[in-house]
Amino acid sequence: MYTMQVDLAINDQQEQLDASKSDSLLDVLRKQGRTGAKRGCDTGACGFCTVLVDGEPEKSCIVPAANADGSTVETIEGLGSQSDLHPIQQAFVDNFALQCGFCIPGMIMRSKALLAENPDLTEAEVREALSDNLCRCTGYKKIVRAVLDAADGVDDTSTSVVADGGHLGVSNADGACGCCHDGGDSE
Amino acid sequence: MSTPDSPTERDDPDDTIDRQDHPREWDEPENNRTVPSERENINTDTEKNDARKIVTGEARYTADYHERFPELAEGTVIRSDIPHGYVTDIDTSAAEGMDGVYAVITPWDDEVPDKLYSSSGQSYPEPSPWDMNVLRKHVRYVGDPIAAVAAEDSETADRAARTVQVEYEELDGVFDPGSATNEDAPQLFEPDDVENKQSGAEYERNLESHFEGEIGDVDAAIEQADEERVVETEWETPYQSHCVPEPHTTIAYTDEDNRHSFITATQVPFHTRRQLAHLFDVPIRDIRVTKPRIGAGFGSKQEMAIEPIAFALHLKAGVPVKLEMTRQEEFTALRFRHPMRMRMRTAVSENGELTAMDLYALSNSGAYGTHGMTVANNVGTKPLPLYPRVPNVRFEGDVVHTNLPMGAAMRGYGAPQGHFAVEAHMDEVARQLDRDPIAFRRDHVVRAGDLVRNSAILKDGDRFARRIRSCGIEECIDRGKDAIGYDDLEQPEQSHRHRGVGMALIAQGSGVSGKELGAAQIMMNEDGSFHLQVGGVDTGTGTDTTFSQISAEVLGCAPEDVVVLSSDTDLTPFDYGAYASSTTYISGMAVKKAAEDAKERLLDWGSRMLDEPVSVLETGSGEIYSEETGASVTLEEVGYEAIYGDEKREQILGRSSHSTDESPPPFGAQFVDVTVDEKTGEYELNKLAFAADCGVAINPPQVEGQIEGGEHMSLEYATSGSLDFEEGQPKTHGFRQYGMPRTTDHPPMETLLVETHEPTGPFGAKSIAELPTNGVPPALSNAIRDAVGIRINTLPITAERIKQALDHTD
Repeated sequence: MYTMQVDLAINDQQEQLDASKSDSLLDVLRKQGRTGAKRGCDTGACGFCTVLVDGEPEKSCIVPAANADGSTVETIEGLGSQSDLHPIQQAFVDNFALQCGFCIPGMIMRSKALLAENPDLTEAEVREALSDNLCRCTGYKKIVRAVLDAADGVDDTSTSVVADGGHLGVSNADGACGCCHDGGDSE
Repeated sequence: MSTPDSPTERDDPDDTIDRQDHPREWDEPENNRTVPSERENINTDTEKNDARKIVTGEARYTADYHERFPELAEGTVIRSDIPHGYVTDIDTSAAEGMDGVYAVITPWDDEVPDKLYSSSGQSYPEPSPWDMNVLRKHVRYVGDPIAAVAAEDSETADRAARTVQVEYEELDGVFDPGSATNEDAPQLFEPDDVENKQSGAEYERNLESHFEGEIGDVDAAIEQADEERVVETEWETPYQSHCVPEPHTTIAYTDEDNRHSFITATQVPFHTRRQLAHLFDVPIRDIRVTKPRIGAGFGSKQEMAIEPIAFALHLKAGVPVKLEMTRQEEFTALRFRHPMRMRMRTAVSENGELTAMDLYALSNSGAYGTHGMTVANNVGTKPLPLYPRVPNVRFEGDVVHTNLPMGAAMRGYGAPQGHFAVEAHMDEVARQLDRDPIAFRRDHVVRAGDLVRNSAILKDGDRFARRIRSCGIEECIDRGKDAIGYDDLEQPEQSHRHRGVGMALIAQGSGVSGKELGAAQIMMNEDGSFHLQVGGVDTGTGTDTTFSQISAEVLGCAPEDVVVLSSDTDLTPFDYGAYASSTTYISGMAVKKAAEDAKERLLDWGSRMLDEPVSVLETGSGEIYSEETGASVTLEEVGYEAIYGDEKREQILGRSSHSTDESPPPFGAQFVDVTVDEKTGEYELNKLAFAADCGVAINPPQVEGQIEGGEHMSLEYATSGSLDFEEGQPKTHGFRQYGMPRTTDHPPMETLLVETHEPTGPFGAKSIAELPTNGVPPALSNAIRDAVGIRINTLPITAERIKQALDHTD
């Protein structure tokens, strides 16, 4: 039922994809095998399908494919690989910030946009920025910690971050996020 | 009353028999109890073995397998839009005439079985009633499946489904569980409509089950007590959605050997295989159920909710069919936590002893009876064991049908409702008697050595009475009190704001007593690595990693050297599935025993290669070594020698299965710190603290994750989650109407692990998954009572309810 084509720069690769009029960006990504973004609600209410469109986090299930034509799209498949994780991915692994994993690709893409904009974050800012992305398994505590750790880690591992795209420049200057001890999870 | 320090010295007339049937000392293998310095791979932070594929988006869930099927059709279900009635006609002609439509099925199709079944993924025979058909002519709630379409893509299937015309003969509905048993209430089932093995069903009164059990004589004890020391309270809880991240999804196809295969998001692959075989009259061996990564279950996938529809569509369409639920279906048509009303009554003697506990639960089962009685049973049998020495206990329940969505298994399984009633009640009793609520409970709370009978109050005999061999609840209380600052609470400066702290004690089980089976097989490769095939189902909790740690601890390799294949009915040994907090305790013990079986062969080869007796050999750090001479041989050397040796060859294999009547409770203490505004009723959660005794935590960060995620669900239950209906029509269609807590809704959470050793569990482990879903509602109700003196007994706890209660006391 394909009726049109959309041109997308997906993870630095120019691609022309078939789409039907009713397809969302999520539909076309998943149909051509990029299944990292997950379908959780199809109404833009859960965040599991979050990808970056022209650098901005978008819920791809409510972006009509036609509207995305000509955009630059970043998906989880474009970040690190299992043996060479992006620092945000590494922080999620190291902090046990995942269980079933269904929300995690969206959560990581949202975090990537957040850290690109401002790597010097307080816990409250992380919580605010992630508040559109639901997680049912973790209680969010370890996810928030992972994002703060990733922000901190930017300074320590600046080489690999720069190599990976270089959006993340500045670390949490005082390093005192207050999140890294049991009990001190909030501001 | 015995003193807390000498629980084992009680003078109990039945004690001799109890000691035989329920010994205090457990005959535990020597290797099961280790001190921290001896542990290589358990009680250590171990990377979750699917973490890397999850963060890279490579983990594949059911819907991600579509690429494997070039001809894959997509399904859509047509559901009842009335709460009660008969389907008199279904016009499918327009749908059937559409391009790209492969099949339309209705209850009258040959491919759709006309048999009764239960969707509950329970052991055989399912205790839940067989009361449903795959597609339904008698519809009993808005959302009942009537017909389904398979088409070339989901867009076409949806369009076709919208053209299907259903005509009904409408019937009156009943929506209030309190009046469902009235004589003039509309009746959902004729007795012939159901095969029900549960106790006390009376379908003329919409009663799915009635049950009762008593220890001692509750009426006499209450009669004897001073009237002022008899306290009665009432409690009410709403529907809760699992909000399962991955909607229910199934791919059904038939392979080249004419075997029917399912890739499906299920917690119970083996039960699903059996139930499909029975329902469709296919031999069990001709069905294969494969579980890929699961986007969590929380009980909603302990149900064969959609597999039969997918299968019938596949049989008629002749091509592989994927059926993927929408979020709206998850919120209206699938499965939920049963709403309940409860009444709790206790008597306390002059010297402060609890002499009687009397609990009643009315459960709203909704339109069908899946897990109806068994969930309601757990309302009492999970929290009452917190107080095992109370001599007179009664627990009764009624489970009724209404024309609303069906309750089913949900993480906690009746225990969240029960703990709200029991633990908020105990707090109320203490306060009314002018006792500190924690000190009062300490006097009565469970201790190691206790024989718990009230966990088996609904069963005949004492087979399922439970000896407590590990109990860290006192330490949970102590550490939780410290963490929350119980004795040192600063009040806000404004006089209309009041701060309070509340606690709830919590217990769960580790598997279903006497109804569990796990099995595992482990095979050694040449390079000293292993393949573990295990029936236990990892639904995202990390039990595959737990299994690899347990195997590694026995075999002396590293956890990453154990490749885990879990739960494929063709490829792995059997398992009852992931429910009732059974996986670490039951399936984990099967893994441990299988690894020990392999280790025997390993040591035999080590003995031959090192020329030393097996009795002096041990495994560790990738080697077999002699405790006498220090000589060693690597597992890799053993692996190559065993497979390619000159004189003798074997593959080193181990296998085992595990079942038990034991189900040791993990224990916990949930603390909530709250500030309430007495002018508005609004409240702010300052902090949650949870201390857990789950025995030995195999992978501590995974255990913390279970606790924090469980508290999240419990927080929702306490503060924000519920479903609304108007005359049976659902008003909650998605996340936007439902109050699932977000990052910004969570207060700081402190998580504390209290280690005990459970001799019946693998390396001392008990369960953890359900325990933390039970605590926030009672602890928050208790904290609000502490802060402003009012008692909230209805969930969710809203500012409006608090304000009303405050106004009422003025």
